[in-house]
Amino acid sequence: MRTGHFKERTAQLVALSDSKVVWSFAGLLLALVLAAPFLIGNYQVTLLVSAMIAIVGAVGLNMLTGTTGLISLGQAGFLAVGAYTNAILMMDYGWPVWLSMPAAGVVSALVSLLVGVPSLRLKGLYLAITTLAFAFIINHVILYAEWLTHGPNGIFVSGAKVFGVDLQRGKALYYMTFGITVVVVFAALNIQRSRVGRAWMAIRDHDIAARVMGVDLLRYKLYAFMVSSFIVGIAGALISLQIRFVNIDVFALILSIEALAIIILGGLGSIAGAILGAIFLSLLPEAIRLFFDAFADTNSSFYTTYVYEIRGITYGIVIIAFLRLKPEGLIGLWRDVRKYWSNWPLAY
Amino acid sequence: MDFLLLLLASGLVSGAAYGLIAMGFALIFKSTGVVNFAQGELVMLTAYISFTLYSTFDLSFFPLMLVTIPISMAIGLVLERLFIRPMLGEPIFAIVMVTVGLAVVLRGITIMAWGPDPFNFNAGIPTRVVTLGGVPFYPAQLYLIGALGVLTAAGWAFLRFSRMGIAMRAVAANETAALLVGISVSRIHAIAWMLSAAIASIAGVLFAANFKLAPDLWFQGLRAFPAVILGGMDSVIGSAVAGLVIGVIENLFQGYVGQGLREISGFIVIIIVLMVRPFGLFGSKDIERV
Amino acid sequence: MKNGLLALSAFLLASTASYAADPGVSDTEIKIGDVNIMTGPASFIGRAVSVGSKIAAAEINEAGGVNGRKITIITEDDGYVPARSFQALTKLIEVDEIFALNGTSGTANVLAMMPLIEENNLPTVVTTAPNELVYQPVRPSVFTVGASYSDAFYAQLKYIHENTEPENAVYGLIRQDDDFGGAVEAGYDRAVKEFGVKDGLRIRFKKGTANFAAEVAQMRQAGVNVLANGGIIAGAANILSEARKLSMDLQVASVWSEDMPPSVNLSAPAGYDYLVADYVALSGPAIDAFLEKAKKYASDEEVAAINRYTYVTYVGLKALAEAMGQCGQDLTRACTVEKLRELKDFDTQGISAPLSFDNPEQLSGTAVAVYQLNAAEKTFTALTDFADY
Repeated sequence: MRTGHFKERTAQLVALSDSKVVWSFAGLLLALVLAAPFLIGNYQVTLLVSAMIAIVGAVGLNMLTGTTGLISLGQAGFLAVGAYTNAILMMDYGWPVWLSMPAAGVVSALVSLLVGVPSLRLKGLYLAITTLAFAFIINHVILYAEWLTHGPNGIFVSGAKVFGVDLQRGKALYYMTFGITVVVVFAALNIQRSRVGRAWMAIRDHDIAARVMGVDLLRYKLYAFMVSSFIVGIAGALISLQIRFVNIDVFALILSIEALAIIILGGLGSIAGAILGAIFLSLLPEAIRLFFDAFADTNSSFYTTYVYEIRGITYGIVIIAFLRLKPEGLIGLWRDVRKYWSNWPLAY
Repeated sequence: MDFLLLLLASGLVSGAAYGLIAMGFALIFKSTGVVNFAQGELVMLTAYISFTLYSTFDLSFFPLMLVTIPISMAIGLVLERLFIRPMLGEPIFAIVMVTVGLAVVLRGITIMAWGPDPFNFNAGIPTRVVTLGGVPFYPAQLYLIGALGVLTAAGWAFLRFSRMGIAMRAVAANETAALLVGISVSRIHAIAWMLSAAIASIAGVLFAANFKLAPDLWFQGLRAFPAVILGGMDSVIGSAVAGLVIGVIENLFQGYVGQGLREISGFIVIIIVLMVRPFGLFGSKDIERV
Repeated sequence: MKNGLLALSAFLLASTASYAADPGVSDTEIKIGDVNIMTGPASFIGRAVSVGSKIAAAEINEAGGVNGRKITIITEDDGYVPARSFQALTKLIEVDEIFALNGTSGTANVLAMMPLIEENNLPTVVTTAPNELVYQPVRPSVFTVGASYSDAFYAQLKYIHENTEPENAVYGLIRQDDDFGGAVEAGYDRAVKEFGVKDGLRIRFKKGTANFAAEVAQMRQAGVNVLANGGIIAGAANILSEARKLSMDLQVASVWSEDMPPSVNLSAPAGYDYLVADYVALSGPAIDAFLEKAKKYASDEEVAAINRYTYVTYVGLKALAEAMGQCGQDLTRACTVEKLRELKDFDTQGISAPLSFDNPEQLSGTAVAVYQLNAAEKTFTALTDFADY
């Protein structure tokens, strides 16, 4: 039983983890995920790829909403910007995918400047509403700027090859997405414990105090928004590579809500939380499906008529239940379990 | 009849719908500080309930509303008790997300109960065209504008003169202080939800009477956001006026600029408002630029 | 020539593949996938489609199945979201191991599924989204039933131009600002150019728009008296109701969704006897016979969900079963695709014009009939027979 945590140097304070056990578990998990495509079926691999893309998007949003405390309802819009940038550069301008994907992030970050400058001067929910407005406006732009976006027809995305390997299917897609996810997660972990990350947390916790300490609010809020949008743009590019088709309908408004639900379920401000939330919500429809297949009479007319709506409702109920019963999210739940484990048999 | 007049008239009609929905938003925001993302779903659910009442009992408009409004208030109360009250003391952000979850649930339940097919629902209002100042209107359109007028006046009087309304403003101004002078804050929250649901039902029934009753009615909740911002988030009267302004702007944009711009002109207005006058037309000016 | 090459390559594929059985076929069963809109406001389409598949499958199975194999339909919901269509089809292919695909949701949804369909050479009959984007470029295993929105509008405008055109005719178009609206505009464009009539106004609107007051005011301002109404369901009804308010005298051409009972109930009060063009029959003995069948195989709730999408899906699955039947015991995807490609004048008992996929676009049932609504009685009368345009 560990009796306490004594931190004697700054390096210890900011270390990702001081526990060998944590590192070895992380290593084991990595190895498992690396081996996964050889252990499970293709459909499950596809699900995992979607979950990893959701992780990238959620980590990006978490940086803005969880760490800096600014709500965005424009996630769908930034995903669309990233996906369209990647698709247009690859298909119309012949860029290789290793260039077009970072470009998708950069364009998305630049767009976030446009949205951020008017609204980040203000405190409160205003970013939420401007980003909602942005999602509507970008939808309009994509449909009407036909010379650039092919309007409503959408774009097929194919031929993303690196060294002759097609990155858009099967194991190649899986490992590329996995690599990007790992990079993004570590980048996020590192930014959070840097000077910039601490400034963001200061803004979230008390903006006036942060300003007194010398944090330039507008600048750091813009940083947060840009970094977040960059990552979300990459997630959008990954969506375009996985689905191989982009169209405005792919980026429905509901995506923004789902993204928020993910980071809330996981636990706001925690990167591990964003990961857990993304996995949980991506796999929830499957879980509900298994539940219904196991316990419901699939031939009853109630089942055939309502099962799909019931799935949607369950989704809403999960969000409400977590907020009500476990507001720290899945990561809070995990912490409780861990405390219980390490303190057992003593209550803490 | 003049083209411009026609555009203005139809702008007022759609603006009145925005105004009514925005009033519901503002009422809850003012007294609880929560942006209720389930407002659009509340509008939809109460409209469907009213439709069932209408088709079962064949009522005309005013008796129909007399039955619909209390039911809607009860729904507002139940939702508040079940979902919002237990969240008291949690961060605003969490409560806002509860309303997002609630929205998904209400949407699913509505489609389960009434199915996906749209209905023709005239809410017992005659459909013969009447002409006012050379501009033709359906009676339901006039009812919509009338309802906004009546509710704005009633809302103003309520907040200005009634004991309850003053208590509500006190809660909005400072919750702790209100609690200290003996106002039951939780009761005020419940009343805000009930009144907001009542307004939502009026908005829903009249919207459906004008534009059919379909399961995408909830979307109007999002469409009303520009009005909420322009009105200043916490101003009930402001939202009503802002609704009309947005409605007219949208229709003028469509009439003279065209090509689908109507749907986003409201959102362009939001961005301009935030740049030059972030507290909206009527909101309280305590916007902090920190 | 191109077709010949395709047939040859399909034949070569078939000859090598016939030894390795394709997924989804056992000695007693053939699994057919159906990705559809089962949730949300557009779920009336998915529900109707799944009834159509169910009736066709029940009928085929009762008659002994396809060479003794029973058809099983596996439905997945996509909620009209293309990303979920992609997921759903992945599941159907990888987990359920379907043999062919019959229901395909909306246009953007089919397109999102297209890479998977091509990769697996999955015999696919598209019946609910006959959009040019689906059959051009041609995908070898994709067969489309139905006329394009473009042809449907052209047919109606042609009928109006030839028979009921008012004096000083001014044509106007109002359409959605997406791929569906684009197809509507193509038909309108062809019509006004070909007839040399006055093109008064073209307006685009966003999906989900409810209030069309400004658009209709613009129409009136431009003096439009022949309207190509590209609104659907509540939208179309709201456009007509605004036009009635401004007492406009209009000849109206509409989207085929407007021939479904819920749409008619919404639009009829405006009093316009609008036209629709559809590639399935709306009334008559064929439909009566179909409804008899429906009562036998489907529950009351399902019968209530029947609309035109049920008919087209029914026809689509029958055609697919016919092709599978022609393959005999060695049923493979390649063979099914080949037989579908050879399908000629397949009789649908009058529900639609006979089906033939033996054309370069693998597109059939492009013949549409023009119908007119009697707004007072909410019934349709056929003005023309099925004809190609």
